[in-house]
Amino acid sequence: MPEVLIADDSEFMRNLLREILEEDHQIVGEVENGVEAVEAYKDKDPDLVMMDIVMPIRDGIEATDEIKTESPDANVIMCTSVGQEEKMKEAVKAGADGYITKPFQKPSVMEAIEDVVPS
Amino acid sequence: MNVDIQSLGTFNELAHEGAKEATASMTQMTGIDADVDVTQITLMDRGDVGETLAEQAFVGVEFDFEGELSGQTALVLDQDSSETLAGTLMPGDEISAEMAKSGVKEIGNIMMSGFIDGWADYLETTIDHSPPTYIEGTGKEILPTSGDDSPADQVFVFKSEIEWVDESVDFYIYMLPDQDSLTDLMADHADAEADAIPVDKLHVFNRMTQQGTKQAAENVSMMTGIDVEAEVSQINFTRIEDIPKQVGTDRYVGTAVEFTDLPSGFLLVLFDESSAKNAAEALMPTAVEGDELTDQHTAAIEELGNIMTSGFVDGWANVLQTSIDHTPPRLVHDMGRAIIDPLAAQVGQHQDHAFVIDSRMRTDDVEFESEIYALPNDEELREALEELAVERAEETDADPEEIFQE
Repeated sequence: MPEVLIADDSEFMRNLLREILEEDHQIVGEVENGVEAVEAYKDKDPDLVMMDIVMPIRDGIEATDEIKTESPDANVIMCTSVGQEEKMKEAVKAGADGYITKPFQKPSVMEAIEDVVPS
Repeated sequence: MNVDIQSLGTFNELAHEGAKEATASMTQMTGIDADVDVTQITLMDRGDVGETLAEQAFVGVEFDFEGELSGQTALVLDQDSSETLAGTLMPGDEISAEMAKSGVKEIGNIMMSGFIDGWADYLETTIDHSPPTYIEGTGKEILPTSGDDSPADQVFVFKSEIEWVDESVDFYIYMLPDQDSLTDLMADHADAEADAIPVDKLHVFNRMTQQGTKQAAENVSMMTGIDVEAEVSQINFTRIEDIPKQVGTDRYVGTAVEFTDLPSGFLLVLFDESSAKNAAEALMPTAVEGDELTDQHTAAIEELGNIMTSGFVDGWANVLQTSIDHTPPRLVHDMGRAIIDPLAAQVGQHQDHAFVIDSRMRTDDVEFESEIYALPNDEELREALEELAVERAEETDADPEEIFQE
């Protein structure tokens, strides 16, 4: 099963994503900010990171930028409530591979993952 | 046509002083200890004027006025209080319906004459008004139907709330100026062109907040399955010290974020406690026993507030072709005034008045009401609106697939 790291400061959203993903994916870590996301990525080397944008300490775009700079093959899907065009462009620039906006349903999450990490 | 922030502030003070004069007249006549609670200028849809009067039965008086400023004005109070009011004029007498009507008409006449005279004195002109007409009606139906010829579907309305101290009686003064007459007057009294906001951009901005409210309501519906509708969205311009009074003393749960980009400021998403519980439980996979809000409820509310915040502001960012960054949402749970007071104080460090974006959504399915308050820094809001291209007003949605394919 593909290994997934979830980075979101909302416990509620981490739980929701875990419930959506755990049937077909192995959740290797759940973190609450961008600093922890970078550390957990280095430690776990997951197949995919589900990354929120607005997080305390360090945001998801900066964390994505660092992960992709050090590991260009990393797969990162921004999973965020932010639906701003300029933010999406920043996410592309940071190297994000996909983007889904909250609120989401399971099919849209699975579709985004399939686009980035085909089964 | 421009409106400048200084003249909005001046007009707001003028309406506030007018309402104080009107209140003093009433106190002198009746001995009733009353005070002006809130005065605000609101830009809103014509059809939403008086929406906050809900379904209550009101009585009052209305006048037409004309001169340098023309339009209609009305003083209204709830019907049950009119007999109490008349009783203060004729203590000891049994108050008939006819006497109550006459009392309201007389007090209304004196109060509103003071209100209109205050405007005339400030403008150094004469404003003539018609004799008072006694009015009765339910909710917003009591307010005068505008004789305004302006094609604008959004209108500036002046509203003051007067609170009868120690009694649960509120009076409302509405002034509905003819929009052309008001905008001409604003232009004539503009102190600093640098502070000016074109009226059409303010209208577009109001439309964007309505669209943002709709998006936030759709996000709630999608997350919770509760069919929520955006109800009212308006931009108020009000004195900083009046902002907490608009939120009231009920207890709320919600989220607060601070914007860190242009325009900086704050955004609050608030639910009354029952609504918060209902919305949170609609998000939870399992039922929660008891009436208390648990950590699970507050975690769900925090995320709901976060998603509603994004739904509300993303459209502005996309139309303005910029990004609007904000801090992660902070959970708030307190009396409404206590929640907003420190935020208003921070905005008030740089300004005496503020734009307050006030949006409400509700549903008939379950007890659910939510309010969104945004308090932008007014100078930065003006700068942001300068960049607003009116023709981009519909470009509120971004398509991630398109952007990621480029």
